[in-house]
Parts: sequence; structure tokens; C-alpha cells
Amino acid sequence: MTLKIETRLVDGVTVVSCHGRIVFGEEAAALREDLKRILSSTRQIVLNLAGVSYIDSSGLGTLVGVYSSARASGADIKLTGLGQRLRDVLQITKLVTVFEVYDTEQQAIAAFQRGAA
Amino acid sequence: MDFQTIVGPSSGTGSGVFPTLVFVQGNEQRIINLDHSPFGVGRKVDKDLVIADPRVSRDHALIVSENGVFSVVDQGSKHGTFVNGERVERKTLERNDRLEFGVREVAYVIFNPQHGTTNSAREFLSQISGMHISDETTDLEKLVLFLEAARKLNTIGVLDEILMTLLDVTLKLTRAERAYVYMKNARGELRLAAGRNSKGEPLLDDKTISHSILDDALKSNSEFVLTDTSRSADLTGRKSIVAYDLRTVICVPLRKPQVQATRDAEAPAGAISAEVMGALYVDSRFASRDISGVSNDILHAIATEAASLIENARLVQAEEAGRRYQQELSIAASIQQRLMAVTIPEVPFAKLAGRNLSCKEIGGDFFDAVNTSQGLTIVLADVSGKGVSAALLASTLQGMIYSQLTAGMPLTEIVTAVNRFFTDKNIGEKYATVIIARIRDDGDVEYVNCGHILPLVVSGGEVQRPAHGNLPVGLLPDAKYESDHYQLKPGDRLVLVTDGVTEAENARGDFFEDSRLELAAKSGTLEQIFTSISSFCGGTPLNDDCTVVELLYTGG
Repeated sequence: MTLKIETRLVDGVTVVSCHGRIVFGEEAAALREDLKRILSSTRQIVLNLAGVSYIDSSGLGTLVGVYSSARASGADIKLTGLGQRLRDVLQITKLVTVFEVYDTEQQAIAAFQRGAA
Repeated sequence: MDFQTIVGPSSGTGSGVFPTLVFVQGNEQRIINLDHSPFGVGRKVDKDLVIADPRVSRDHALIVSENGVFSVVDQGSKHGTFVNGERVERKTLERNDRLEFGVREVAYVIFNPQHGTTNSAREFLSQISGMHISDETTDLEKLVLFLEAARKLNTIGVLDEILMTLLDVTLKLTRAERAYVYMKNARGELRLAAGRNSKGEPLLDDKTISHSILDDALKSNSEFVLTDTSRSADLTGRKSIVAYDLRTVICVPLRKPQVQATRDAEAPAGAISAEVMGALYVDSRFASRDISGVSNDILHAIATEAASLIENARLVQAEEAGRRYQQELSIAASIQQRLMAVTIPEVPFAKLAGRNLSCKEIGGDFFDAVNTSQGLTIVLADVSGKGVSAALLASTLQGMIYSQLTAGMPLTEIVTAVNRFFTDKNIGEKYATVIIARIRDDGDVEYVNCGHILPLVVSGGEVQRPAHGNLPVGLLPDAKYESDHYQLKPGDRLVLVTDGVTEAENARGDFFEDSRLELAAKSGTLEQIFTSISSFCGGTPLNDDCTVVELLYTGG
């Protein structure tokens, strides 16, 4: 598998960092399963994609799928660390209007804390 | 090991001068000596090989011999003659060639298979077990070897044959009266798979079989459980149990052979933790067939070999199933190809061309072109993911869009309906990027882009990318879709691609990218775009389908 997923807790927010490729098959499945598992115990996730070199269409579908089900259950996923390529994809697909995207991890975490305050 | 002598030409029929045909229909197979030429195949009753199926022509084909060389010659049959899956008019036959006449899969003929395997697997097995070998375990070892051969022969119904033979061998070794194999089904319930008595007659499930002993054996960690009903409380002296005029039951749990010994340090040494597939049950009710004196060695051999035999047989079956699945996949791929084969409408104001380069898996790309009174509409879509599921969705999507286009629906309503369909049906994370563009004879283009790669317009040596876009279809149920317009001048080219093009990779892992696409689109036509992609990739196989559609607006 070409995707590594790490999780850590920063100021009460779960930061999930991905390294590698999010593509059709076991990578997309691993991301889905990991995020689902994390969502069972937390409602605030920052997904840091800085280490992601490539997301294909299935990977993007997974991302939207998990994002939608998180929102539906009252949880929230904020994105950060988007490379130019992923930004372009989100722009073309207009998904930039769906996801909450932040330039830095700190900003994404801070946004959760503002919301909670 | 004298395995060679078993498979040698001395065994069975059909090993003489004449080659044989093995005719397989469903679960039955028949051996036919090819002792004259021409040898007729067809539906007519006077044929040498009659296949009673409407897809087989009356005079379907001939097998002819010329100077010892055999060939199959199609007799103008309606559904064709196939050798190894390829339709042929006339073909020289080689050993093991697979011939199909009109009807595929359900009936076929193997030409002169190797090692005179005119015998069914069972006959073959009985030859092995009938050999006189001093050490009982070698019988079972030979069965394992047989399986290797069976795998190559692709024998039908191998598992059943193996089970039957396993029972026969076990009965022979233990001198027991009855033997049964139980296998767990998908729900983990124990079901009778085969039963035999010492006379070689098949047995059905029977109330006299002790299911409680079966269950105990499955739960136990032992290699086998021997129960002497007279003294079931004390089984310590198994080795030296003397003959009793009482019923004895031997139950051998069949555990999946473990390929690798467990390295788990916490597991107690010698623990048997492998998954139980089923059980072998042997019993005797009569003193004359007392089995309580069966040696530990034999039971040990049965316990270890039987499970691996069955597992191997299952692998053979899985292989066969996998092969069928592959064939179904190739059928799906050919249906997909036919759907992709678009009849390009002729219009006086434009020339349209489209081409698809499929990667090895079936993909989810499709394009379509529909000419209505409102103009020429081109559709290009890419369903996320790969394989059959993507192809299925692509076909559904194509059908929906096609029917709504011909019904004259506005483009935005079409994609809204498609989005609703996809999200209502809740097809997981599958979605599609779609671009639909309708070109009128005055050069006006109305397009709705749903998350698709931006279209390219090559005009006067410059490339423009009309940037209006929407969300893909199938992701969000409440997505709103809008279209935009673009004005083409005569000589302008509109180029639509799927992301397989921009994401085509070379050996270094670089992508073809928009920049190279724009350059290629500017300088050339459709064919040149593909040339440029393949020279960029330099032999690196495609990960995704590449589809390019090009419209040249020639003017009214």
C-alpha cells in the first residue's frame, strides 16, 4: 500500500496526516476505514494532506463520502496541506465550495476552537 | 515415487494410434476416439459428435486428418467454431486445444489431451490407490500429487471426486464400514459433503451418525477423536484398544493447512489454531469391521493429508471459478466497447471525431454524440473507479443521458436528473464527471461541465479553456447545475478529454498534465494528441482510460 495514515491529538482536535497516494483500491479503503473509526470517537478532525502526492477520482470520492457522512452525523472534517494539484482538482470539481480548506494546520485547529468557544 | 508410470500411456483407453476427443458438457464428459476422417460435428443426429443445442448448426464443423495432421474446418456455421477462444475457419489442432462449436462454455471438446486422461479423475485416482504400496501414507501422498495433475487437466468437479476418493481411501485404510465428509458452509454450519460405505456405495446423511461426537471433535484441539461407545469416558489407551464388539467412531477435524507456522510467541507450542473446514467421520457398527485398532499413524496421516487435499481441491475449483469470472469480465468489456462505439452523426457545420484508449481494466469512460433539432450534442463522462462497477454505472449514465437528449431536455435538467438518480440510489462513493456540449450551426456552444477537465478551444493557434463548472454528478444530492455559452468561429476546434489523458504517467512518475495537452491540442489533431501521449508515456502502461473527443466547427 502506498498510503500511510498517522493520527495525533492537538488541543482536543484529532489531526490525521496522510502520506502517499490516495487512489482506487486499498488506499482509498484504508482512508475510509480509518476516518470512520476516528469519527466514532471524535467530532473534530483536521485532515492534513501535505504528504499526499496524488489523489485519483476514487480517492476524491472517498474523501467526499467520508466528509458527507461526517457532516450528517454532526462531525466535521477540515482540510489542510493541499498541494497545487489537489487545489486544481477541487477547483475544477467545484468541491472547493463543499470542503472547508485552510492554508495551515494551525489555522484549521484554531477554526475548531473558535467554533467551540 | 513412481508417479510417471501412472500417468504414462499404458493407462486406460485412447492411448493407442488414434487421438481422442474429450467432450465435456455440463458435469459430464465423454471420450471419443478420433478413428476416422472426416469426423462430423453438428446438431444433426447422423454426426459423429452430436451436440443438441440450437446454437450449434446442423452441419457445424469437420475434423479432418491429412498425413497425420488434424484440423478443424468450420462448415459455414452460424455461431462459429472456436479454438482456444478464437473463432476460426480452419485450424490445425494441437494437443489440449479447446474446441467450441457455436455454444460456448456449456459444451466443449478438448483435442487429444495429454497423458491419456481419458479416465475421469475418479478412475485415475482409483488407479493410484489401487497400487500396492507397503506404507499406507503414500496413498495419500499420491493423492496430493494427483491434484497437481488434476489442476493441470482442469478436471470438472474435482472437489467431489476428491471427497469420494478420500472416503474410499480412508475406508480402505481404516477398514471401517462407513465414512462421511462434512464441510462447513458459508454460514459455518456443518453439511454433509459426501458419504460412502465399504462397498463403494454413496451414502446420504443418516440419523445414526453421531452429531454430538462431530461437534465435540470440531471443538477439540486434537488431531482426531476416537470414541468407543462402550468406554467413552476412558480413551487414554487408544493405541492398544482391543477389539470390542461395539460401535466405534473416529472423527477427524479438517483444519485449513497453515502455509506459515505462526510466529506468535504467546501461542502455546503445538497449539492447533487453524480454521476448521469440516470433519471426516468414520464409523463401524459391527464387530466384523471393528476400527478401534486403527493405528495412530494412519489417523495422523489422514488428519494431515485430508485437509490439504480438500484445500487443494478447493483451490482448483476457485481457479476454475476465477477463469469463468475472467471470461465474464471479457464479455462485460466487449459490451462496454460496443457501447463506446459511437456512430458519429454527420452534420454540415462540424466534423466530430472521438477515440478511446482503454487501460487493461474495464474503465468508466464513455462518450456519445446525438444530433437533434437543437444541435449536435457531445457527451463525455468518466465514472470514478475502475472495473465492472464503473463500467456498469457508465452504461447506466450513458443510457440516461442519451434518452434525455433525444427527448430534447435542457442540459442542466439532464445533469440534475442524473445527479438525483445517482445520489438517490446511494451507490457508495461512486460519482462521475460529465461534460455535455451542444453545438448549434451558428457556432454557439452551450455546455454544462460537472467536475470534468476543462474543455479546450483551439482558435487561431491559441488554446482557451472555458472555465465554467459545477460539482460532479453523484456526490451531493442538492447540487445545483448551470450551463454556460461559448461562441465558436469557423475553423475553431473544441477538444474534450478525460483525466486519463492529463494523468497519463511516464516511467518517472510525471503526469502528461494540462500544459502538454494544450501543446498537443494546439499543434495537432486527435491522432496527434494520442501520438503525443504515447511518446510521453514511453511504454508505461496506462492507469486509466484515455478518451479524447474533437469537434471541428466548419461553419454554417
